Amino acid sequence: MGATSVLKARPARPARPPSPTGHTVAKKRTGRAPTGPGRRRQRAGMLMVAPALLHASLWIGLPVVASVVLAFTKYDVLTAPQFVGLDNFRELLGDAVFRKSIINTVVYTFFTVPFGMMLGLLVALALHTGLKAQGIFRTAVFIPQVTATVAIALVWLWIYNPGNGLLNALLSFVGIDGPAWLASTSWAMPSVILVGIWQGIGMKMLIYLAALQSLPKELYEAASVDGASKARQFFSITLPLLKPATFFVLITSMITAFQSFDQIYILTDGGPANSTTMMTYEIYKSAFREFRVGYACAQSLVLFVLLMGFTLVNRRIMGGTRGHN
Amino acid sequence: MELKRRSLLAAIGAGTAAAALSGCGTGTAASGSANGPAEGEITLLTPIFEGADGKTLLEKEILGGFRKKYPDVKVNVDYTTYLQLNEKITTGLAGGLLPDVMMMGVGWIPPFAAKKAIAELPEKFATAHDYEKRVLAPSRYDGRLYALPIVLDTRIVVYRKDHFAAAGIRKTPANWAELRAVAKQLTKDGRIGFDPFSIDLRQCWETFLFANGGQLFSADGKKVLFTDARGVEALQFFKDLVKDGSAVYAKKTDPLAPTNVQTGKASMMMTTSGLWKQVGDQAPDLIKDDKLGAFILANRKPAMLQGGTLVTQSASSKHPAAARALVEYLATPESILGAARQRGSVPGLKDLSDSSYVKENKFVDLSLQSMGDACSEGGTAAWMEIREKIKPTLEPAIVGGQSAKDAIAELGRLAEAAIGRM
Repeated sequence: MGATSVLKARPARPARPPSPTGHTVAKKRTGRAPTGPGRRRQRAGMLMVAPALLHASLWIGLPVVASVVLAFTKYDVLTAPQFVGLDNFRELLGDAVFRKSIINTVVYTFFTVPFGMMLGLLVALALHTGLKAQGIFRTAVFIPQVTATVAIALVWLWIYNPGNGLLNALLSFVGIDGPAWLASTSWAMPSVILVGIWQGIGMKMLIYLAALQSLPKELYEAASVDGASKARQFFSITLPLLKPATFFVLITSMITAFQSFDQIYILTDGGPANSTTMMTYEIYKSAFREFRVGYACAQSLVLFVLLMGFTLVNRRIMGGTRGHN
Repeated sequence: MELKRRSLLAAIGAGTAAAALSGCGTGTAASGSANGPAEGEITLLTPIFEGADGKTLLEKEILGGFRKKYPDVKVNVDYTTYLQLNEKITTGLAGGLLPDVMMMGVGWIPPFAAKKAIAELPEKFATAHDYEKRVLAPSRYDGRLYALPIVLDTRIVVYRKDHFAAAGIRKTPANWAELRAVAKQLTKDGRIGFDPFSIDLRQCWETFLFANGGQLFSADGKKVLFTDARGVEALQFFKDLVKDGSAVYAKKTDPLAPTNVQTGKASMMMTTSGLWKQVGDQAPDLIKDDKLGAFILANRKPAMLQGGTLVTQSASSKHPAAARALVEYLATPESILGAARQRGSVPGLKDLSDSSYVKENKFVDLSLQSMGDACSEGGTAAWMEIREKIKPTLEPAIVGGQSAKDAIAELGRLAEAAIGRM
């Protein structure tokens, strides 16, 4: 068997078992309640699911429904909600700062997600190759993920300090007078993006590493026998087989990026001149600083719709978590 | 079966929504009488009394005295910062758990009083002590008293006397033209002549607006007044300073770090009266060597922004008599002096103007002498929303290419919309 035959072989998805009539069997729905042991199993299942269902309904379902309903109200916490129809959404259309926050969020996501994924994969590959003291490296890379963002942001606040920060001190060694990273409209967003990338590498690396460790070795052995270079193996075996992991990392990273808040809150307060404000930060400001909870809920709904849209597009493009066999 | 399931889901959804919205009330109503005996367990929310020293002062000294006077009242203290104060109050209101007694900033009273979230205080509280002129103005809404001042924090200009002397400048600027010229003259060798940006841009611009003879809102709080030439000129002045190179937006002092005027990176800066204490702690030689001076910003008129912390009572307190007793106690000269000393703030009582604390703190002393020039932010029920818009709306004029006129017009539009929603 030649190299190409191994590398291009794409096993077909197992077909659904044919029905006696020759048609594919769909979900069997008889409409009849199960009896005997089936019924007992069903009850046991329901009982086991009940606590989680109750928890999800109370702490997820209720707030979600409430925020959707409140999005159509004027609610300032001090007085009872007042139905205002689509007024909040109409106002959102003319809200230049919210528009700017959407653009900033998309820009932030556009840079943090792909670069973070690339770096996460590279680190995972490096660790997967049998690096010595792997545990230490893995922990070191993962630490930012489990450290409180507030603590991380405070450290970066010092790093970016134009007067006595680490970054400008390093730049001064090579004769560069560093800018005021977080106070400049040109540099604030790249500075925040850098923190986002750095902080997110750990989780991405961990998922990729787990995925890499589960890849079948036989394919690589066969490819090596067939004379495929390491690069060819990576692009033709590793990357395609990592597709489910990549989809998962992509979606979770995008959601995390869209929900970035802490670093903005600590590092820039959305400024200067709204250059780093994000959707979540605007939602927070509307709800907690301006007492406009109804408006904040409308903003949240826009965020939800955007996230849902991006997820569906990604799913369509990447085919979801369905991987190669 | 399908229909039933759908109906069930719809019912659950509707029930959930109803349950969710029913939680969005206005909190629990007050029970008991404010004139009854002071007893019960109450909560105090405070953004001041920071750190271990502040905690000791509040809980041991101030509340210790309160406990002696009111042994049947237990006070639980909830500490926060001004940054998180809004959040605390919002969640408290939403959850019906608003603290019984709250400390708030200047400008916050009208929004909460208009929505009946805070209780009116008896007018006799206003005359219980000899308050400095206009100190109680931010405590009132619609002519009625809702809060009492704990401490005042004023915005003044602090300058380096040694820089002035070295440049041959003998008097402090009396108007903006002089301020700009002096700032330009003092700018050299990486030093900026004037740092107006190390305090919050909102409060800085307001001080300049007031010094230019401008106002934020009409007396009834329903009309925006800052959109006239005076507001634009105030913002334009910052742009001119930046253009001259005598003020740099990025060269702000980091919070709690030694200020630019302390380190000599700036010759003048807009700052708070609390700087005297900070310098005393961080660079006492500057005070010992008499290198720091202060003056009140002036253009068409002198103006000093009067900020500060007020104490108010929740309208939904279950122990209104105990809450009212605490409000009254926190506003006594003993409590005020302790709080002012701890923060380096201005005590707003005439009884304290001759105290050793005031006489030793030059910035506090200057502030008290200048109370006739004091102006405050707020003045509208929509202030909580408007105050958040000021900095991000004005910033593009300073760090971006937007004109001062456009930025002020935009802020005016946002403020009018906020007032319109009230």
